[in-house]
Amino acid sequence: MKIGVYFCKCGTNISDRIDPQKVMEEITKLKDVAYFETVDFLCAEEGKEFLEKDLKKKKPMRVVLGACSPRDHEKTFMNVLSKAAINPYLMQMVNIREHVAWVISDICKASDKASAYLKGAVARVQLHEPLKPEELNVCPDVLVIGAGPAGLKASLSLTEAGRKVVLVEKNPVIGGMPVRYEEIFPNMECGPCMLEPMLGDVLHGDNSENIELLTLSEVVEVAGYLGNFIVKIKQLPRYVNPKKCIGCRECIEPCPVSAKNEFNCSLDERKAISFAFSGGLPNFPFIDDKVCIRTKGENCRLCEDACIVDDAIIFDDKEKVIEKNVGAIIVAVGAELYDCSNLTNLGYGKLPNIYTSLEFERIIASNGPTEGEIQGFGKKGPRSIAIIHCAGSLDKNHIKYCSGTCCQSAFKFNQFISKKLPNTKIFHFFKEISVPGKETFQLYNKALNNPDSMFIRYRNINEIDVSIENGRLAIHYSFSSGKRCKSTADMIILCPPVIPSSDTAELGSILEIPADRYGFFEELHNRVDSIQSKLKGVYLTGSCQSPMDIQNAMNQGLAASGYILSGLPEGKKLEIEPIIASVDEERCSGCRVCNLVCPYKAIDFDEEKAKATTNSVLCQGCGTCVAACPAGAIKGNHFTVEELLAEIQGVLT
Amino acid sequence: MNTKRNENEFEPKILGFLCNWCSYAAADKAGTMQKPYPANVHFIRVMCSGRVDPQFVLKAYEEGADGVIILACHPGDCHYKEGNLKAVGRHNMLLRLLKQFGIEEERCRFDYVSASEGGKFVSVITDMVGTVKELGPLCLNGK
Ligand SMILES: Cc1cc2nc3c(=O)[nH]c(=O)nc-3n(C[C@H](O)[C@H](O)[C@H](O)COP(=O)(O)OP(=O)(O)OC[C@H]3O[C@@H](n4cnc5c(N)ncnc54)[C@H](O)[C@@H]3O)c2cc1C
Ligand code: FES
Repeated sequence: MKIGVYFCKCGTNISDRIDPQKVMEEITKLKDVAYFETVDFLCAEEGKEFLEKDLKKKKPMRVVLGACSPRDHEKTFMNVLSKAAINPYLMQMVNIREHVAWVISDICKASDKASAYLKGAVARVQLHEPLKPEELNVCPDVLVIGAGPAGLKASLSLTEAGRKVVLVEKNPVIGGMPVRYEEIFPNMECGPCMLEPMLGDVLHGDNSENIELLTLSEVVEVAGYLGNFIVKIKQLPRYVNPKKCIGCRECIEPCPVSAKNEFNCSLDERKAISFAFSGGLPNFPFIDDKVCIRTKGENCRLCEDACIVDDAIIFDDKEKVIEKNVGAIIVAVGAELYDCSNLTNLGYGKLPNIYTSLEFERIIASNGPTEGEIQGFGKKGPRSIAIIHCAGSLDKNHIKYCSGTCCQSAFKFNQFISKKLPNTKIFHFFKEISVPGKETFQLYNKALNNPDSMFIRYRNINEIDVSIENGRLAIHYSFSSGKRCKSTADMIILCPPVIPSSDTAELGSILEIPADRYGFFEELHNRVDSIQSKLKGVYLTGSCQSPMDIQNAMNQGLAASGYILSGLPEGKKLEIEPIIASVDEERCSGCRVCNLVCPYKAIDFDEEKAKATTNSVLCQGCGTCVAACPAGAIKGNHFTVEELLAEIQGVLT
Repeated sequence: MNTKRNENEFEPKILGFLCNWCSYAAADKAGTMQKPYPANVHFIRVMCSGRVDPQFVLKAYEEGADGVIILACHPGDCHYKEGNLKAVGRHNMLLRLLKQFGIEEERCRFDYVSASEGGKFVSVITDMVGTVKELGPLCLNGK
């Protein structure tokens, strides 16, 4: 075999510390080494040009490069090999700079070590196989799960780039949590006004024909991998035909039954046929068959009778299972709030006038249960309102982390209350204050400067006791010194932390993506790759990945669409790195050890043949299964048993 | 079979397995910091410490290595999620096996170094060389 060896002097970085002459003498002794070239700067433009020409001229069958770290320049030289029409995997790079020249002061020892490494490479490279990236046809369409800020932004940016999106939303309305807020921090913009243009674009914008919106829907099954997922979506019947309904609301009034309205945090009731809240989009009602008396056998048609168009109400609408083929999946299912009834001393759910932040959002919303009025306290409103921050956050008995958004909601409420009820005193009970970034401190400052607001730092949420005294809410708490104190309020707003939604675990198991220690979906890397899940082709956006504000949720939606536009190019084939594992069926004994050790679920088991097979798209080439297979039936490309044994032998002898 | 074993100062041969993402990068880091360490350890790059097959370790001893060191990413940092945990498991198994061959535990070390721990890399390697020097050459049956 004709092997060409190149020795980069790296200026004098290498050649001052390793004697090229001595190394050459050692290496040219080896039987298959055809030539040994010394180059000044292999990675410089002239160096690469020289290498390309020399390779073309000498046509070696294998190439060994003694130079710097392959982590720096392996790709550089692989490209040069490709240009010289040599398969780039027929090369082995030896790190004689970082691992030898720079760390060994004795030139004799350094030269010996460099020779040993080169011998290992010469032994190994002979066994290298020409490898080619596998090419795969992919589906460019995308499934987005959840139509909150994150999912909407992702859908819009993908369709703007010409992609097709299937947008699955569990609720009858889109917009996620923020469509329920009257005002949005930090700039106190009107929530519905801020979001409506986006919702409008999704429903009937320029690219809306490329968004297939499925409301009242959930993903129930997912199979496949990046480029090729098959997804099953269950859609509940709406009983209202969106193509006919004009959203006039005539049907609501006559409906004879009602139930608690979960879209208003159950603070009021809705009819069996209803809108989630006024202004909710898409603008047509739904029939809740758990409430409607027709499902109990009665022949009520009052809503249909009231309907002013024909066939808008479809009593025999059925649950559907819809199958879709997509290339990537964006998860944007949002989060929930920690259940404040776990904070037993605070009286939530037992005493009157104690609300969570989300409930208070609905109370102050003009499309909420009281149309924005804080009722029950006469014309002047409540004398004082207590806002309890960190209601369960940063506490080892409840939620360990800080959600980073609750203080901002608290100061938003301060603003709102002082505008709406100028005579009301506001107490902020806090453990810590979190107002990061360039804007959020402003609301905090306003609250600080508000003569009607007071800040009280408590020691521990578990030491706060709320009770009724003289018809008002008495709040007993401890200062950091331990001293007990009491304040009185007419209303309490609890700001609990954001926690993973109750759907997260189930959806995670459907998608086969893991959760982190708090139950949020786990990112591939929390700094470098927080948008990618641990499964290739599944992206995480918004507060299902971590608590965040709307700005970040939108940014993540954009980031995910960027990943997809660049990583899953339409009309192109997906190139799959050839450094992956493959199973030799003959040798596979069907023991499934590989199934257990693979961190990427890249190994399937063919039950019929009782053999393992690897999935080249999912495989990341770590080689764990190769090392684990007791039958030696798995080959790890470019790091085969034979190649590594040859390298070990070459280096040591 | 090996001349080095007759010299005055014993210079052990040690083989090191480095994963591409952390420990190999740590060795690069030690290089760029120009932190010297003994020349006795020769490194083999694998993508993940989970790729280190016990037979590679046995092969190293057979080919005259006096010690073997496997360096992985810290727990939780493995580029491939938990290859390093698989590697620890295999290392424990190896130690039991080596005992049967009469090879001391200290000749087969497992440790964690992150990409940024150039300093730790140097001290772990230096320490390993010292340990094996003290143990003396490895004499396998018949060799
Ligand atoms: C009380 C309160 C006030 C806030 N005020 C502000 C503010 O003023 N300004 C600000 O920037 N941020 C605010 N936030 C934070 C803001 O709510 C979040 O940043 C935002 O909701 C995150 O958007 P998202 O798209 O990730 O999730 P969400 O808004 O929660 O949307 C998720 C969507 O997914 C749907 N979904 C859930 N599960 C499934 C499923 N299994 N299948 C299909 N669909 C599903 C949901 O129905 C929902 O439509 C506030 C948060 C709280 C709790
Ligand atoms: S990549 Fe370093 S141990 Fe797995």
